Amino acid sequence: MKVHSITLLGHKDHGKSTLIGNLLMLTNSVTQTRIKEAETYSKKLHKNFEPAFILDSFFAERAGGLTIDITRAEISYKGTAFSFIDVPGHEELIKNMISGASYASIALLLVSAQKDEGIRDQTKRHLFIAKMMGIDRLVIAVNKMDTVGYAKGSFESIKKELTSFITKIGFEADNVSFVPVSAYAGDNLVKKSTSMRWYKGRPLLELLYKYSGYDSAKDDGALRIVLQGILNGRKDLVAGRIVRGHIKVGEKGTCIIPLDINVSVKGILAGGKRVRSARVGDGVALELDREVTKDPRGAILCGESYCPIARRSINARIFVTRRLGGKLSVRFNGIEVACTSIKIGSQIDTTTGEQMEGKKAQVLNAIDAELVLDRKIPAESFMETRELGRFTLYSGKEFAGIGIIR
Amino acid sequence: MIQQNLKTLEERSIYIIREANMKFKNVAALWSMGKDSTTMLALARKAFLGKVPFPVIHIDNRIDFPETYSFREHLAKKWKLNLIVAYSEVKPDAIGSACCGKNKPETLKKVMKEHGFDALIVSIRRDEHGIRSKERYMSPRNQKFKWDYKNQPAELWDDYASKLEEGSHIRVHPLLDWNEIDVWSYVKQEKIPVNPLYFSRNGFRYRSLGCTHCTVPVKSDAKSINDIVKELQTTKIEERSGRSMDKENERVMEKLRALGYM
Repeated sequence: MKVHSITLLGHKDHGKSTLIGNLLMLTNSVTQTRIKEAETYSKKLHKNFEPAFILDSFFAERAGGLTIDITRAEISYKGTAFSFIDVPGHEELIKNMISGASYASIALLLVSAQKDEGIRDQTKRHLFIAKMMGIDRLVIAVNKMDTVGYAKGSFESIKKELTSFITKIGFEADNVSFVPVSAYAGDNLVKKSTSMRWYKGRPLLELLYKYSGYDSAKDDGALRIVLQGILNGRKDLVAGRIVRGHIKVGEKGTCIIPLDINVSVKGILAGGKRVRSARVGDGVALELDREVTKDPRGAILCGESYCPIARRSINARIFVTRRLGGKLSVRFNGIEVACTSIKIGSQIDTTTGEQMEGKKAQVLNAIDAELVLDRKIPAESFMETRELGRFTLYSGKEFAGIGIIR
Repeated sequence: MIQQNLKTLEERSIYIIREANMKFKNVAALWSMGKDSTTMLALARKAFLGKVPFPVIHIDNRIDFPETYSFREHLAKKWKLNLIVAYSEVKPDAIGSACCGKNKPETLKKVMKEHGFDALIVSIRRDEHGIRSKERYMSPRNQKFKWDYKNQPAELWDDYASKLEEGSHIRVHPLLDWNEIDVWSYVKQEKIPVNPLYFSRNGFRYRSLGCTHCTVPVKSDAKSINDIVKELQTTKIEERSGRSMDKENERVMEKLRALGYM
């Protein structure tokens, strides 16, 4: 069964883990043992039954009532499978949220309709990050509708405010759906709720199902294989992953960038077998007609005509998770390259989508910057090929952000 | 239980196993002779075109099942494995987590130090346990083997954790995404040899294999891999229900993992 990964998004305590926990129970996707274990712990901590405990397994998570780190849970629905990635909502745990979201193609944002909760900075920041990382399909669940008497007005006002924000940061209206829910009571999760007859749309799982047919992999004429390294000590045998296009045995006119050598592929091994051809998504071992003289890790095997250019200077939008100081470096497809200078052009407030004053990178916001690296990498724009247009940024040994190449 | 696309799972696992071997200087894998770690070795054979390129460690407390030992000898020879058997002593009075939690990590520490391994492939899966589901594909352990689960490294876009300091190591989890049913479907598809204890005898079979002290069989009539797959499609019983250690209290797995348990 094909599994579609969905990342949760949203401010802390707006009900992400509770929603997944309840979905697992409503769809019979979790064992009685796990449910009982969550029950026992809810009692121990003097709480009502907490479906979130099915996901939040660390003692510190349960006692503190927060998600510290990501986890996944699967649900099967109408012959397809969803893997829900639960992420923490706290600002200081944003690197975990980013890690979780990186595996998703669809996002599910929760925003609480409860009085004194509503749209928060982190609600919008998570949306900004998801869009930046290439997630285009989004379901927004307005949660805790039971606490506002299932009132249509509460749903509509949140919908209106968020619609204007998501349009500003680039989501297309066709790819976004809103649904009023109660994660705890189960309204509109799997079946339509009788408490909100004014809502004419589909329940949550149906909306996610609607977005699940989409695949961002490009199988066009442009070949891109990210090389992992040489295999079994043989310099004429390289391992890699096809991130775009396809390749056939005997194909001539391919080159490795930035090693600047022309090669032809004599043999392809995939899944332990010899194959005649391979396509995007496949992991391959390639037998070349010559030995590579330098380490090919992080290099690209591609066609000679339409290929990325190895370069030292890149323009990128960077979401900053940590103060930038000390030695900066960029990690790109398995290699780490020192960054010798960073020139910030402008700064974007991730809670409004608008430009900010000042040229010093502020944590939890985004910058548009030019980076100069101390050696060439085979990069291209994220729009062109995702895997060659993104990197993680490190400040010393600490994770400091993610970058999308323009 | 959801059965995933085996090709997708295989691709990712092969990628991670290769990545471990290319990224780290001195890699080893744990092999318990169970279905998961044996599947991992089958994937490693595919990744490196027929041969497992790293040593495999069995932490042997001398009380595994006889079937397990003969399976070890058989496969080690057939697949030409570089097998390291590290003996861990069992105290007669300690059972369950008091036994596993103390003896096995200590033995593992010793063998890792002796050989200078800086990465250890462990075949845990997310669906086995809530705590295991919080793991990364590559996860650092400090010199004392401690897992700093409140501050795990970012892991995205094939950027995996590096070694922290001298004496620390990285746990590599290539099977993290697999469900129990995926492993069995793959065992069937690839004709991977498995321990005969997994199949039903007199109405019982072992669903998860530990040592003779702490593992009990579960009720089952599954006599073949097909039967097992069918059983898993509808079961509501936990895979590790036959492992006494898991039942001691709710935090046992968290504590064990924090101490360096597998």
